[in-house]
Amino acid sequence: MKPTQTSEFWVQAAVIGSLYAALTLLLSPISYGVMQVRISEALTVLAMFTPAAIPGLAAGCFFANFLGPNGVLDAVIGSLATLVGAMGTYRLRRRFCWAPMPPVIANALIVGLMLYYVYGVPFSPFYCVFWVGLGELVSCYGIGLPLARFLKKRRSDLGL
Amino acid sequence: MHRLDPRTKIMGTFVFLISLFLVNHFAGFGLAGLFLLGLILISGVPFRFLFRGLKPILFLIVFTMLINLFMTSGTPLMSLGPLSVTEEGLYRASFMALRLVLLIFGSSLLTLVTKPITLTDGMERLMSPFNRLGLPSHELAMMMTIALRFIPTLLDETDKIMKAQTARGADFESGNLFRRAKGLIPLLVPLFVSAFRIAADLAMAMEARCYRGGQGRTRMNGMAFGKNDVFAALILALYATGIYCLRIRLG
Repeated sequence: MKPTQTSEFWVQAAVIGSLYAALTLLLSPISYGVMQVRISEALTVLAMFTPAAIPGLAAGCFFANFLGPNGVLDAVIGSLATLVGAMGTYRLRRRFCWAPMPPVIANALIVGLMLYYVYGVPFSPFYCVFWVGLGELVSCYGIGLPLARFLKKRRSDLGL
Repeated sequence: MHRLDPRTKIMGTFVFLISLFLVNHFAGFGLAGLFLLGLILISGVPFRFLFRGLKPILFLIVFTMLINLFMTSGTPLMSLGPLSVTEEGLYRASFMALRLVLLIFGSSLLTLVTKPITLTDGMERLMSPFNRLGLPSHELAMMMTIALRFIPTLLDETDKIMKAQTARGADFESGNLFRRAKGLIPLLVPLFVSAFRIAADLAMAMEARCYRGGQGRTRMNGMAFGKNDVFAALILALYATGIYCLRIRLG
């Protein structure tokens, strides 16, 4: 018997979330702060293949930030950014080259401005947005896109 | 404090964090600091646990402080060559640093006195009024619990795969940023495969045990507000009023 849609959906979301959190924590020296390259953001391409990735990624980001150095506020705002990004990716799922773009924009704007306004990082807001966006670009396009290409080929093996 | 209802603790933490952003004078931080100190003493959490949470961000705090200290223009207090410390800089630097430290202490206290599972349970209950708007609060909480449960498993798995791929000649440590990022693909692909296998197995297991989601489900340990929660809410209200009054008086 194949599991019903709902339990499989939520379990998949959960595993994607913990994958995100595990990768962020493992690579934590480069995952937080103004000049961050959060490799786990490459996972946002999963939203191209399954909508379960949307709540999953948001939850993963919540835990990663919660356990990270910036605390609850980063958890709430950061996961909001990831949520918006993943939703955008899901909407653009048919446009392969554009799909990884929404997380880049959402995180650059939301996380960049959060670092400036909330944590008082002593750079101009433009600078914060630029650096967060650049890091995001590296992980979403540098890793995310090749990953998406692989997943597209092996879709049925993974049950996506 | 460890036994308070998680809902009280979550709401309390949020009130505390918001209060820190309402503060516009050092006296407000004094009040917030005293309040937090009281909570820490009551909870019996050793200070060293709280400082441990501060360690990873220490660099950011010191860096921000230094930049604010030297870069803010205003009345100079003293100067070291081309750099000068101004009154406004000193004020701004210590203000920001204090807020950041209190923010971190406040939020780590929540995690130190609450089990993660209780925390997600509390969140489920807090979100349940939104059920009518179509928010699947039970499923969301269940997903968070499962995600939390699998973080250590996947950390282990990642470590294992990393070692296995290194043994096969994969290189995770050299080259520029782009090359390094690309080098992570041989790590991510097997990780995905194993993660999705875990998900499929777990979904099957839940199905085999007739899991049907949140409706009509009962709990082993119910959640109820007690006398202590009312007391805690009163103290919190008192604190919030204090912060607000200070803001108006000193603003």
